[in-house]
Amino acid sequence: MSGGPLIVQSDKTLLLEVDHPDAQACRMAIAPFAELERSPEHVHTYRLTPLGLWNARAAGHDAESVVDSLIKYSRYPVPHALLVDVAETMDRYGRLQLVNDPGHGLVLRGLDKIVLVEVAKSKKLAGMLGAKIDDETIAVHPSERGRLKQALLKLGWPAEDLAGYVDGEAHEISLAEDGWTLRSYQQEAVDGFWAGGSGVVVLPCGAGKTLVGAAAMATAKATTLILVTNTVAGRQWKRELIARTSLTEEEIGEYSGERKEIRPVTIATYQVLTSRRGGAFTHLDLFGARDWGLVVYDEVHLLPAPIFRFTADLQARRRLGLTATLVREDGREGDVFSLIGPKRYDAPWKDIEAQGWIAPAECVEVRVTLTDAERMTYAVAESEERYRVAATARTKLPVVKALVDKHPDEPVLVIGGFLDQLHQLGEYLDAPIVQGSTTNKERERLFDAFRAGELRTLVLSKVGNFSIDLPEAAVAIQVSGTFGSRQEEAQRLGRVLRPKADGRQAHFYTVVSRDTIDTEYAAHRQRFLAEQGYAYTIVDADDILGPALPQID
Amino acid sequence: MATTFADQLRSLTDEALSALVQLRPDLVVPVPADISALAVRAQSRGSVARCLDGLDEFTLHILDAARLSRSEETATTSVEAILELAPGVAPDDVRVAVDRLRVRFLLYGGADALHLVGAIDEVTSPYPAGLGRPADFLDPQAAALCADKAKLRRTVLAAPPGARAVLDRLAVGPPIGALRRESVAEPVQWLVDNHVLVPISEAGRAPRPDGELVELPREVGMLLRRDTGPLGALRPFPPIPEGTTRDPKSVDSAGAGQVMEAVRSTESLLEALAAEPAPVLRAGGLGVRDLKRLARAAGLDEPGAALLLEIAYASGLLGETDASGTSRSVTVSRAGGTVDEIFLPTGAYDLWRALSIAQRWSALAHAWLAMTRQPGLVGQRDDRDRPINALAPDAERAGAPLARREGLLVLADLKPGTAPQVDEVLGLLAWQTPRRSRGREAAHRDALAGAAQLGVSALGAITSYGRLLLEDVDEGDTDPLGVRPGSAEPPGDAVRTLDALLPAPVDHVLVQADLSVVVPGPPEPELAAELDVIAEPESAGGASVFRVTAASVRRALDVGYTAADLHSLFRRRSRTPVPQTLTYMIDDAARKHGGLRAGSAGSYLRSDDEALLAEVMAEKRLAPLGLRQIAPTVLVSPLQVARLLGGLREAGFAPVAEDAGGAAVLTRPKVRRAPTRSSVASRLAEQTGPPVLAGPRLAGVVEQIRRGDIATRAARRAPVSVRAANGQGVPGLTSVQQHGQAMAVLQQAVREKVRVWVGYVDSHGATLSRLVRPVSLSAGYLRAEDERTETLHTFALHRITAAVPDDQA
Repeated sequence: MSGGPLIVQSDKTLLLEVDHPDAQACRMAIAPFAELERSPEHVHTYRLTPLGLWNARAAGHDAESVVDSLIKYSRYPVPHALLVDVAETMDRYGRLQLVNDPGHGLVLRGLDKIVLVEVAKSKKLAGMLGAKIDDETIAVHPSERGRLKQALLKLGWPAEDLAGYVDGEAHEISLAEDGWTLRSYQQEAVDGFWAGGSGVVVLPCGAGKTLVGAAAMATAKATTLILVTNTVAGRQWKRELIARTSLTEEEIGEYSGERKEIRPVTIATYQVLTSRRGGAFTHLDLFGARDWGLVVYDEVHLLPAPIFRFTADLQARRRLGLTATLVREDGREGDVFSLIGPKRYDAPWKDIEAQGWIAPAECVEVRVTLTDAERMTYAVAESEERYRVAATARTKLPVVKALVDKHPDEPVLVIGGFLDQLHQLGEYLDAPIVQGSTTNKERERLFDAFRAGELRTLVLSKVGNFSIDLPEAAVAIQVSGTFGSRQEEAQRLGRVLRPKADGRQAHFYTVVSRDTIDTEYAAHRQRFLAEQGYAYTIVDADDILGPALPQID
Repeated sequence: MATTFADQLRSLTDEALSALVQLRPDLVVPVPADISALAVRAQSRGSVARCLDGLDEFTLHILDAARLSRSEETATTSVEAILELAPGVAPDDVRVAVDRLRVRFLLYGGADALHLVGAIDEVTSPYPAGLGRPADFLDPQAAALCADKAKLRRTVLAAPPGARAVLDRLAVGPPIGALRRESVAEPVQWLVDNHVLVPISEAGRAPRPDGELVELPREVGMLLRRDTGPLGALRPFPPIPEGTTRDPKSVDSAGAGQVMEAVRSTESLLEALAAEPAPVLRAGGLGVRDLKRLARAAGLDEPGAALLLEIAYASGLLGETDASGTSRSVTVSRAGGTVDEIFLPTGAYDLWRALSIAQRWSALAHAWLAMTRQPGLVGQRDDRDRPINALAPDAERAGAPLARREGLLVLADLKPGTAPQVDEVLGLLAWQTPRRSRGREAAHRDALAGAAQLGVSALGAITSYGRLLLEDVDEGDTDPLGVRPGSAEPPGDAVRTLDALLPAPVDHVLVQADLSVVVPGPPEPELAAELDVIAEPESAGGASVFRVTAASVRRALDVGYTAADLHSLFRRRSRTPVPQTLTYMIDDAARKHGGLRAGSAGSYLRSDDEALLAEVMAEKRLAPLGLRQIAPTVLVSPLQVARLLGGLREAGFAPVAEDAGGAAVLTRPKVRRAPTRSSVASRLAEQTGPPVLAGPRLAGVVEQIRRGDIATRAARRAPVSVRAANGQGVPGLTSVQQHGQAMAVLQQAVREKVRVWVGYVDSHGATLSRLVRPVSLSAGYLRAEDERTETLHTFALHRITAAVPDDQA
């Protein structure tokens, strides 16, 4: 027994005790092949997945080295069967290759004939494979490349994609590093992405994902299509790109509901791409409008289903997915990985926080006791109405006010999911509201005012969940949300994580009604952040409303 | 030196004789009466075959050489002749092999005149060393060719490549091949035409459906084997597996990991089975679907789950029981399973769980070594193409324990850390005992796979404690069936060695803000029991991860923990500060726990007037009603509503009953009435008697009666009254009266010595009648004589239903 920091579980999870002296070395050793699943305060959980092992194999690690590091750092004997399984899984990678054959174009080549025969027979590949060229080679239509890779992955015979990527139309882009440089983790993320060719980079909100995108573009030096969630986010991208790269206003086009510009760098919204006229997607031509050298998917966890389908046809282009929380409530993480590409970089939130790139945040759950009348209303509400009744209880209003007052000098965001409640709050706090129906112009105006410090409190609906860059916001108060959505919670916290000029702490409050379904949803919502190491403190509303008590923490 | 086999035996020294008995223990089971009997047995086919089964490949080759080198006249051979046939091998090795055969008395006689035991030819291939019969035997033309060595060589060399390939195949053996019926391949035809191959048509036998056979004459075979020697390639020494060398420490470590895994998987299989028992199939065994379910629950593949279930069954942790709950002894054969039986963990399972991991493993490993089952068969198909189920009788293989020992001993004989390939192990086994190993490759593979899964071997090499396990079994072979899972004896060396390799149990946990609880090692039994109740398991292995949920806290409260208990438990067990979220969750759950109370009552009493209820409670006369106040306006009683109402009314209250919907139920006094009867008027028709018959129906009835009468007269039959008494009873008489009358008739008949028809019920309940002459009537029995058969019958009086004097007397 070596007394190492790692415990290998039989369900292929790895538990890493972070307080162990060897923990850091062990983390470095297992990071290439194991995926970080949870990183709470004491024991981080990694998982060995076939995908992770194959990615490691693709990056040049062999089974022997994986097994060695498992054994080296493991505290307890590692089961023989697990070691065998790791070796066997890794051995499956690369028996098939997708290569560009000079004579036949894209082909699937089997280094192991039997495997090729096996997959060729599979029903799941029906229609994806073309003519058999010889015993070891089968032609593949380039448009099937993505789906074929996805299907092979499911069959457990991942193909090594050696066909490469098209370079796309060259376009000079470089980073304008005047007075700032790429942070080390951003550089690592870009390097990881570029080495892999395509994939997803997971970074906490506020950690500068846009810059990773910009750096990727500067590496590709080619025309780029950027897909974002909404117009405001698109404009933020544009602003950031102009500020941080050699790109000028004229080189960046906006393709949205309002404007349809196609320029060397084009920023399009998911919404306009998925809008239909007469049942047909009318804006798909955008993908073929130019010879894009890079496609960037912002907030890839929100990627709508139709985009998945278009993406399958784009396998020859480099694809970069950006997200803070690769948790999809629809469970389609697997599709993101296989179509955009595997996770190329991931950093625990707390690590970035420790490096000072995101603001330290205090998460507080404020429990409000409903009045008897409200409890009665809740008790007799229809089951589909219960969450709304609990979440929009009027009792929350004074608590929100008290919280706003508690931070008199800081910009505060109040975020909620129900419009009625937001209007009440707007009146009660005398603050403007940004909601879905607010025009883009009005939004920009309000956000500018907020950034400038003219506006101290802003009430946001769900539109505030993502991609709104309000660096000054230091306090967020969440009053209601989309049921138990974990990624929404993380995104909302992300609104206040931009590092503050003076290193102040950020505060994230969630106001929930005690003993109702609101509490249950809150617990579920907090799970992702709790797994990232954010420990929630629970406070009673009376403590906030009452005379200021001496601070305990 | 024409001494007989028996004489040879007789002339042996005691030591040599005991050596023989030791090498061929079956000779003395049972102990033969004398040397002649011993000699007969030693020459019997069965004993010879058994002895040959234990011989290695080289010795068998030398035996073949002995068979080949027998001279035709004397049927004897000599050591020299044998040596001649094995030119490529050191003569000493051959001599040793010959001695091995002689000491076993497969060869006997002096070195110059070695006899072979006759049975050898009967139990071995007719083609010794894969060589055909001499050409003389087969065909004169072939013999002529073989006689001329130079010509033979020229012919063979001149063979076209196709023909040469055929020759080479046949030369390796067996030396016969089948000709296709319709067309003989050209190369073969060439060989036959040149007399290198001889068609053998067995006289008197029907032509084979797959064509005629050809045989390669011995001389040609020997010629083709010029390079390897006449016996083919000889391997005087076992092919020692090379394998890769692993660090014995890492072997032990990987094995120990696998041991924990095997023990844990067995436990989770049995837990899954306990949660949802699986029915025993009609043909015995566990259904495919249940196996899949259990495998999934334990995170295993199906063959793995089947192996562990078989071991659990063999070690008595798993047994069948009636679905109703009365358990059956585990030792009863599983073949008689019925639908009503289910598989469940046995009581021994609970004892087993209390043992240390090493002891638990030892129990499993011993059972595995001894069990006569081949789990690798599960999931395959039997001869009738039906799938073989886990725990089903089809997977029974008597040879399995031996196969396991053989396989493991191969590993154990290597240097520690040597990890041979499976094929190398099989190759060595095939050399050691070719006759026995043939057809048992599957069993050996199964044994090696099982060893890997149980952690007896790891990384392809046997572990140090696995070695000790084998020695354990060797020493303490007092219990060949391995039925000692209780393991009351002190732990063996294997257990002690293994214990040192396994992690020490831990008594603390790490609690985190996401409400996960990590036990960083195998938990102490006490800790495991606590966590079982208060948290949901999430992941297991070297450590275990649990998650505390609202439901799990409620479960803990249900079994009697209080919030304070839970707080102190986490404080005591956790090495890390208990997160506030957990504290809140426990408090929340505790606050809500018991907020609703449920119970049962026979009836309730409610009133909006609290004072009235207080009065009812205070009334002493109502004490027997057992009223209890559960709310200011509600009382409950264990009695039924009617009695509650009666009691209250007697005490002068005026209660009203309510139905389930809350509406008042009005009651008025009931007037008593007898059951309703129908009027006599309706019976008028019945009194007029049976309906008058007429016409064809009447004629039919008359004819039926006449026919019955004729039939009765024709056959000597009992009168209708006797037969009727056996059925419905004689009209107009009760059965008691009938019996009394029958007794009277019998007494009369005894006195008058006349014949009577006696109707009675025999011991099977059948009603019979018999014509007899009563002799005596006493002590509850009638003795009577049947004149037709002239036998004396005894009838129990209580079985007699009727007796009628014979009219024809």
